[in-house]
Amino acid sequence: MIEIYRYRDLVLALVARELKVRYRRSAIGFTWTMLQPLLMMLVLQVVFSSLFRFQLANYPVYAMAGILFWNFFSQSIVSSMNSLRGNAQLLKKVPVPKAVFPISTVASGVINLIFALVPLLLILVITGHPLTPALLFLPVAILLAALFTLGAGLLLSPLSMFFNDIVEMITVLLSVLMYLTPIFYPKEIVPEKMRWIVRFNPLRSILEVFRDPIYYGKVPPWSHLTVSCLIVLVALAVGAYAFRKSSDRIPFYI
Amino acid sequence: MPELSIQLQGVSLCYRLAKQRIPSFKEYAIHFLRGSLSYEQLWALRDIDLKVAKGETLGIVGRNGAGKSTLLKVISRVLKPTQGSTAIRGNLAPILELGSGFDYELTGLENVYLNALLLGHSRRDIETRVEDIIDFSGLGDFIRAPLRNYSSGMQARLGFAVATAWVPDILILDEVLAVGDATFTAKCEERLRRFHDAGSTVILVSHSPKAVLDNCSRCLWLDDGRLRADGESAKVLDLYLRQHGTDPGEHEAGKLRTPP
Repeated sequence: MIEIYRYRDLVLALVARELKVRYRRSAIGFTWTMLQPLLMMLVLQVVFSSLFRFQLANYPVYAMAGILFWNFFSQSIVSSMNSLRGNAQLLKKVPVPKAVFPISTVASGVINLIFALVPLLLILVITGHPLTPALLFLPVAILLAALFTLGAGLLLSPLSMFFNDIVEMITVLLSVLMYLTPIFYPKEIVPEKMRWIVRFNPLRSILEVFRDPIYYGKVPPWSHLTVSCLIVLVALAVGAYAFRKSSDRIPFYI
Repeated sequence: MPELSIQLQGVSLCYRLAKQRIPSFKEYAIHFLRGSLSYEQLWALRDIDLKVAKGETLGIVGRNGAGKSTLLKVISRVLKPTQGSTAIRGNLAPILELGSGFDYELTGLENVYLNALLLGHSRRDIETRVEDIIDFSGLGDFIRAPLRNYSSGMQARLGFAVATAWVPDILILDEVLAVGDATFTAKCEERLRRFHDAGSTVILVSHSPKAVLDNCSRCLWLDDGRLRADGESAKVLDLYLRQHGTDPGEHEAGKLRTPP
């Protein structure tokens, strides 16, 4: 960990490079970050207001907060898995702590998430959703989401070096996880029998910490925050431990 | 006893090569269930004991595939040995391969930063040295051109200039002096001597006996992953050249004597 701190300037440079590539290559790269969740939200709005009937006021805000969170989580997981593969040649020749790659991937994901908050705020204003001081809690919520994602990324990214079909498998598992998490539906519609799945889904806790201040205009209760912090700590500890254990083997699989 | 800079004890390193390549998890699972996972073991290093004192200049010779580069990777902490223990004291400046850590789409200058950051220097540290680095590399205006336009000699110059911009405790060079032109090689050797005077440990892998003789007081001969000889450069090189002569005729003769 101390070693990573020594390489902090490298992490910053890698983040800058990733963002530059993302926003330079396509002329509307920047707009796309903001547009994609908006379009997704419109689709959901059409589908769910006409096909299913939820008892949710102002559904667009609810859905969009969920989409932003999910995009950040799933994209960060997939790109941190690719980050090791993409820098494989380097890992074979330069004694650099390998964790800098997943770390900088998640960090640039956070920056994308912050950009994407702009259209969300726009929707809040347009739909007349109350803007409350609870929104000031968002940085803490984003930090928790980032640390949780980093834990998952550290756990999964070495696998991508050992098997080259693992990224596809994880993509499938991610889409299952998306339906098991109340991203675009309210958790109340889940049948009583299956509610434990949603209840014990750690991602749901982290999602609610992020969505509560936006949608309900309240800071999550202490009990919920404590549980979420514990989940984040466990995720980080498991991820860091697994990464440490496997990182010595990584150069042998290039 | 002088201060040790590198100590290896009983270091062996094994590359596990799957007999059939199993790149995907699906195939791995199938083979695992059938119990048909088999590996071929390739021992690149076997039971190496090595002590290098601080300030020593060490050359390593050996034929292709003898384990020279693997040994350098173990010393620079890129590969962890399968068996044995390593103790490396001080900061490293490893140049393990030409252009390692370069991004070919970035300019030379951007690569100076990237490369130095990868070596663990801070941005502020780099800013104070960047002029020296460009100056030493002798690339002039080419520094603003993308790296993909560089010749291998130019890449070597830039890589060497970045890695040696800071006086390291241990400098590791894998066959890099060979690609530069004569002027640059002389400049590099001058810098190596300066590091030596400043107390750095230098490890150099080379196929050129002259480079080893000129720069190193001690030399190792690696053969099939084992230490064949270790001692004064002139003596070890003499032994080595006697078996694998530089003269092609001699080389052939040596080959004929070895049983298949």
